[in-house]
Amino acid sequence: MRMMRAVAAESVKLRSLPAVCATVVGTIAAAIALAAAIAASATDATDAVQVTLATIPFLQVGTILLGVLAVATEYQGSQIRTTLTATPTRTVLLAGKTLAYLATATITSVIAVGAGLATAGITLSVRDSAFMANVNAWQVAGAALYLVLIGLLSFVLAVLFRSLIPPLVTMLALVLIASPLLARTTEHARWLPDRAGSLLYLPVADSVLTAGTGALVLLAWITLTATTAATAFVNRDA
Amino acid sequence: MTLLRALSAELRKAATLPGIWVGVGVMIVASAALTAYNASMVRGALAAGRPEDTAFGSAFDAAFAAVPLGTVGAVVIGVLVIGSEYTANSPDAGGGRQITTTLTVASGRVRVLAAKVLTVTFLVATAAAVTLAGTVALAAVVIGGHATEVVAVDTALARSGGTTLYWILTALIAFAITVLARSAVIPLLVLIVNSSLVSVSLLLTNLTPLAHWLPDLAGRRLFGLPEDFTVPGGLELVPGAIVMGAWTLALLLIAGIVFHRRDA
Repeated sequence: MRMMRAVAAESVKLRSLPAVCATVVGTIAAAIALAAAIAASATDATDAVQVTLATIPFLQVGTILLGVLAVATEYQGSQIRTTLTATPTRTVLLAGKTLAYLATATITSVIAVGAGLATAGITLSVRDSAFMANVNAWQVAGAALYLVLIGLLSFVLAVLFRSLIPPLVTMLALVLIASPLLARTTEHARWLPDRAGSLLYLPVADSVLTAGTGALVLLAWITLTATTAATAFVNRDA
Repeated sequence: MTLLRALSAELRKAATLPGIWVGVGVMIVASAALTAYNASMVRGALAAGRPEDTAFGSAFDAAFAAVPLGTVGAVVIGVLVIGSEYTANSPDAGGGRQITTTLTVASGRVRVLAAKVLTVTFLVATAAAVTLAGTVALAAVVIGGHATEVVAVDTALARSGGTTLYWILTALIAFAITVLARSAVIPLLVLIVNSSLVSVSLLLTNLTPLAHWLPDLAGRRLFGLPEDFTVPGGLELVPGAIVMGAWTLALLLIAGIVFHRRDA
C-alpha cells in the first residue's frame, strides 16, 4: 500500500517535470526523424527492422538522459528533503522511484521503437523497397528492452552521484566513446554494459555471449551499481 | 589592463571548478589509460610476430587511437567555463547564479566573454600538449623496440598541431553554444553524441553532401588519421580547417552579440 503511494507520487513528479516531458517527446521525435533519414539514405537492400535497429545507438541517449533526470532533479534544489519528509522509508522511496522510472522509460522506448518501425516502413515503401522482408519481433522487443535497461543503469548511477552532469557525462562517454574505442582493440570489450546489452537487438553473433547472457551481463552491471547506490542512499545524509 | 585582470579572474575561477579538472582528467588520464592498454595489445601482437592482428604499427598511431577521448574533455571544458556561471545555487543559499556576480564586478560584457575565450583556449591547449606528449611517450615506452613503423617527426608535429587546433575549435564551439543555451546539459549532450561514432553529422552525409561542411566533419582531417580510418569524401585538410575555423568565429560572434544584448 505504501509502495503504491510512493510509485504514484514519483509518477506525478516525473510527469510534471518539463525536462522529463521534453526528453520523452524528444526521444520519440528523434526516433521518427532518424528512421526517416536512415531509410531515405539507405543504398543497399534493407528492411524496416534493420533501419529501426540502426537508430538505437542514438535513441539510448534519450533514455540515459531520462534516467539521470529522474534522480538528479531531486538534488537541484532542496526537493530531496521534502521527498524524504513525505516518504521517510528510503528503501520504499527508492523502489517507488525506480518503478516510476521503469514505467516512463518503457512507454517511451516502446512508442519510440514502434514509431521508428512505422516511419521506416512507410519511407521504404515510398521508395519502393521491400520493407517487411523478415520482421524479427524478438529483435524489436530486445531493442526496446535495451533502451530501458541502459537508462536504468544511468538512473542508479545518478542515485550514487546525486547530481546531473557527472553521471550524464560518465554514461555518454562510456556508451558512445569508450566502448567503441575499446571494441576496436580488444575482444574483452564485449563485457561492457552497452556491448553486452546490445546483443539483445543486434543480429551479430558473439563467440561468447548470446542475447540472453548478454542481457544478464548488463543486468549484473545494473545490480552491482544499484547495490552500491542503494546502500549509499539508505545510509548517508541526503 | 582590465582584460588582463578579467583573464586572471576567469583562470582562477576555472581552476577552482571541479568539473574543469574532470574535463582535463578525461583528456589526460583517460587517454593515457586507453593508450597504455592499446600499446600493450600492440606490443603483444608485434612481439608475437603477428602485425596483422593490430591496426597500429607505430607508437604514434597507437597513442592517436585515444584522440576521441580528448574531444570529450575539450567539450566538457568549453561547456563548463560558461555553463557553471548559469548554474543556480541552492535555494537555501538564495538560489543565485554566479553570472550576476561576474557581471557586477566586470561589467564590460565583451571583455568578460573575451577573457573566457582566452581561458578556454589556454586550458585546452595546455591539456592537449600534456595529453599528446604524454600518450606518445607512454606508447613509445610500452611498445619499445617492437614497433614496425616510425612516424616522421614533421608528420608527428603536424598531426599533433592539427589535433590541438581541432580540440581548441571544438571547445570554443561548445563554449559559444553554451552561451546561447545558458545551460550545460543540452550542449554537452549534443556535442558528445556528435563526437562519437554514432554522430548525427555523419548520418546527414548520407542524405546530403552539404553535411561535410558541418564543423566537426569539415575539421576531421586535422587528426591526420590514415584514409581507411576515416569516412571518405568531404573537405581536404586546409579547406576543412578553414571551414571549421569560420564556424567557430561565426558562432563566437553570434554568442558575443547575444551575450552583450540580452539580460543575463
